[in-house]
Amino acid sequence: MTTTNETRTMRGRRAAPLAALGLAAAALLTACSSSSTPATTTTAPPGGTLSADNASYLAADLKAPAGTLNASGSTFVQPFFTSAFYAYTGKNPGLQVNYQGVGSGAGITAFEAGSVAFAASDVPMGASDLAKVPASSGPVVQVPDILGGVTVSYNVPGVSARLKLDGPTLAGIFDGTITMWNASQITALNPGVTLPSHAIVPEVRADSSGTTYIFTDYLKSANPTTWTLGTSKTIAWPATAVQTPKNSGVAASIKATPYSIGYVELSYAIQNKFAYAAIKNAAGTYVVPSLNTVAADADQKPNVSATDFSIVNQAGATSYPISGYSWAILLQKQTSDTTGAQVVKVLDWTTHTGGGQDLAAGLDYVALPPAVQNQVRTQLLTVTGTTGQTLLSK
Amino acid sequence: MTIIETPTPAPASLPPGTRGRFGLSDRGFRWTLGAAALVVAALAAWFLVSIVLQARPAFSTLGFSWIFQGTWDPSHGKYGLLPFILGTLEVTAIAVVLAVPIGLGTALALAYLVPARTRAGLSTTVELLAAVPSVVYGLWGLVVLAPVFRDTVEPFLTSVLGWTGLFDGPDQGVGLLLAGVILFVMIMPTMVAISRDVLAVVPNEQLEGAMALGATRWQVLRKVVVPGARTGLLGAFTLATGRALGETVAVALVIGNSPYIAHSIKSPAATIPSLIVNNFGEATGTELAVLFAAGLVLLVIGITVNSVARWLVWSTAGPSAGAAAR
Amino acid sequence: MTVLADLPADPTVERRRAVQEAAASSLRRRKIGSGIALGVCWAFLAIAIVPLVAVVAYVVVKGLPAWNAAFFTQSTVPEGIPGGGVWNAIVGTIVITGIAIAVTVPLGLVVGLFLAESDGRAAASLRFTADVMTGVPSITVGIFGYIAIVRNYGYSGLAGSFAIGFIMLPVIVRAAETAFRGVPTSLNEAALALGARKATIARRVVVPTALPGVITGVLLAVARGLGETAPLLLTIGGNQYLQWNPTKQMASLPTTIYNSSSQPYADQVQLAWGAALLLVVVVLVLSIGSRLLAARLRKERR
Repeated sequence: MTTTNETRTMRGRRAAPLAALGLAAAALLTACSSSSTPATTTTAPPGGTLSADNASYLAADLKAPAGTLNASGSTFVQPFFTSAFYAYTGKNPGLQVNYQGVGSGAGITAFEAGSVAFAASDVPMGASDLAKVPASSGPVVQVPDILGGVTVSYNVPGVSARLKLDGPTLAGIFDGTITMWNASQITALNPGVTLPSHAIVPEVRADSSGTTYIFTDYLKSANPTTWTLGTSKTIAWPATAVQTPKNSGVAASIKATPYSIGYVELSYAIQNKFAYAAIKNAAGTYVVPSLNTVAADADQKPNVSATDFSIVNQAGATSYPISGYSWAILLQKQTSDTTGAQVVKVLDWTTHTGGGQDLAAGLDYVALPPAVQNQVRTQLLTVTGTTGQTLLSK
Repeated sequence: MTIIETPTPAPASLPPGTRGRFGLSDRGFRWTLGAAALVVAALAAWFLVSIVLQARPAFSTLGFSWIFQGTWDPSHGKYGLLPFILGTLEVTAIAVVLAVPIGLGTALALAYLVPARTRAGLSTTVELLAAVPSVVYGLWGLVVLAPVFRDTVEPFLTSVLGWTGLFDGPDQGVGLLLAGVILFVMIMPTMVAISRDVLAVVPNEQLEGAMALGATRWQVLRKVVVPGARTGLLGAFTLATGRALGETVAVALVIGNSPYIAHSIKSPAATIPSLIVNNFGEATGTELAVLFAAGLVLLVIGITVNSVARWLVWSTAGPSAGAAAR
Repeated sequence: MTVLADLPADPTVERRRAVQEAAASSLRRRKIGSGIALGVCWAFLAIAIVPLVAVVAYVVVKGLPAWNAAFFTQSTVPEGIPGGGVWNAIVGTIVITGIAIAVTVPLGLVVGLFLAESDGRAAASLRFTADVMTGVPSITVGIFGYIAIVRNYGYSGLAGSFAIGFIMLPVIVRAAETAFRGVPTSLNEAALALGARKATIARRVVVPTALPGVITGVLLAVARGLGETAPLLLTIGGNQYLQWNPTKQMASLPTTIYNSSSQPYADQVQLAWGAALLLVVVVLVLSIGSRLLAARLRKERR
């Protein structure tokens, strides 16, 4: 049986942890005081609970020393980062952060060369990238900074219903084995929808992209043996696929090309009012990508790290399977106390509720789950200055 | 006044050391010019050396055969450059085949046919095209022109010219044809502006002489004006072709970026500049060196095209014009 | 009296009539051919105008709504913040292109003069080099700027000027040389006969006569320099805030267009089109201004 997920409001979801905490506390008290009152059954909310001292850390973050920071990297996070840093400067006018979306790889290169205070990348630095950081610089800290979903958007004239697609069908469309819109695999998943007898035009990225990585990560996870094109930022797509650079290019191409289907970040799909498909997740449910369903997927795996960062195809009825984090990268041993303090405080403020994460929903990004936010802070607390002192404080 | 057919020779020099009112002696003048020329030559050399050094790892690791192989798949170690070389040549050819006659015709019209009062206005209008940033051309091509090509132009051309075998395959809009046409629009202002200037300064005596011999207006243009301006037209052609070979962003948006050899004029394809711009940000190691080497290959292509153009002008025009072309 | 018709046919008259008839029919034929060919030229002019109107109209329609007071006076702001503009990009473009022009125009003119004056092998090689330089893809120029400057000194407006200058230089050199060669030898010889030094000839005769062509070349180079994106993407680093110092990271109109047009939010995209319209208008103003300047200079010389 297939069902489409219903959405809950974002606000309700975020209030849930605090409400649950209150309820749990009340339940504990009542249980201790009286055994006749039934205890309210609350489990810890998926995604965890924010640490209690969050507010004091945030307040300290806004007292970072004045100056200018340069950062660069992923274009995906650029709208979010520029918004968050602008809001930060509004509250701490002395500190300006100049973030440039030059691409994850270029950002990492700049980081390896030491020309930016921190970098942002959709895929964390792997072993080969880490080897390029001079040994004298010390270890590298990589923390998730925001969450995003990859939609499968399409432009099929005459089809106004939301299509349902699953892993094998998507793999077939994008490796060129399924060529027509009215192929049996697609019509079987969408009874009641009249699909035209027309060739499918797959729209993919021409340039190296973290979005491609997340999408192919999902395809591999959903089709371990039949997806042979690999998981990478650059894929050797079949000749029938139209390749355009950047999310915006693919979006423009989908808009301009009837019978096309391609993968674009959620913010582009929402802003362009695309029709996007409901994708079958690991639990067998067809899930529509939204801020909530992406968060639900991330909540299933709160323990992410730079070496284990994939969150595609998680369990859970409401999880949207094509989701991924974006990562901020900085040195653990900062060589300047001022810059180091600025970097950790800005990043801490940006990655927590009450700070930058509050801006995510308004821009069609998904905030980090509270458990992940706690982990980010734990990581940032390991960043030290010139005398080995911890730079983050509350 | 004599009718001049020989090129401007280097003027005879006065006794060296004589200072003019400008303050520079003839020797000083020549030194200044020479120094400036050296600066430019040094810049070009620095450029070449930088690119060659960055490209060297590609050749030392992969040899040279990869340049002519047809499969581009970096994740499996395959770096065939042939699809991109062909794509570059094809898309430039389309642009140039369109731009040379249309640009020349437009320049002739602007220099000789339009009423004198409208001349400046129309010329400025055509040159305005040079001001549009290339990303705008790319977006306009993708959003406006591609659907028109897909729905109208390509079906029409296929029905009329399909017998040539050049128009196989589906009508997708993006591809070689669209990229070639966008490039044509982009190089037109260069072609027209320089051609117009060069065509306009053919000496009046030559025009009058031809007309006195009973030539029609077109014959004057074709037999006197155009040959007389041959050197400058070569310069215009060179600049326009150079721009077409090197255009990056606009092409990347409308060519489809397909790393396979195109089998028809409507196919998506890719060029060396689009390959570089799409992959440079993320490439490392061998792939990065290969991208630099691809840039080097493009330089070689540019040199070849330039040499062929010069040879054509020299061999068809005869020794005197050939001397002018040098 | 002898009747004229009885006179034997004069071979010269016959010959003349035959020639006249042949000439008349040839003229008719050539005139038709000429008419067709000229008609084709007019048609080509029309073809050239059509995409121009289409592209500029598109830019105007999409970009004009973005023009307001904030657009010209404020720096870029993130999505969701009202207001904001491209003032930081305007400043960046002025500084970066200004430095590039200040260096390449004099250098390019002098080298153009060198090439116009000499016919030797060295000059031929340099001419060839300049031609090849115009064909270097803008992304490769950007990479060169990145290797040469950014790797050692970081992103800066100067690195951008270097890259843009590299693109502009061969255009100016070639256009200048073409213009200088167009100066009739007679003028040169006359000046020499009057006893002028070479430098004086250059300043008083060659450059003023070639000025229209030179101005066209410089204008084309500047228009190209203003619109080039790829070299700047790799060299200036970008800046959301206002920056006048060319040794620091700067913004520019082409890179702002490139970045803003690739955002998902409609008002950011509109900002990009507004900036594109601004570039077109700037080049239009430069073009008209330089023509007026050239016309006035020519009048003064007369």
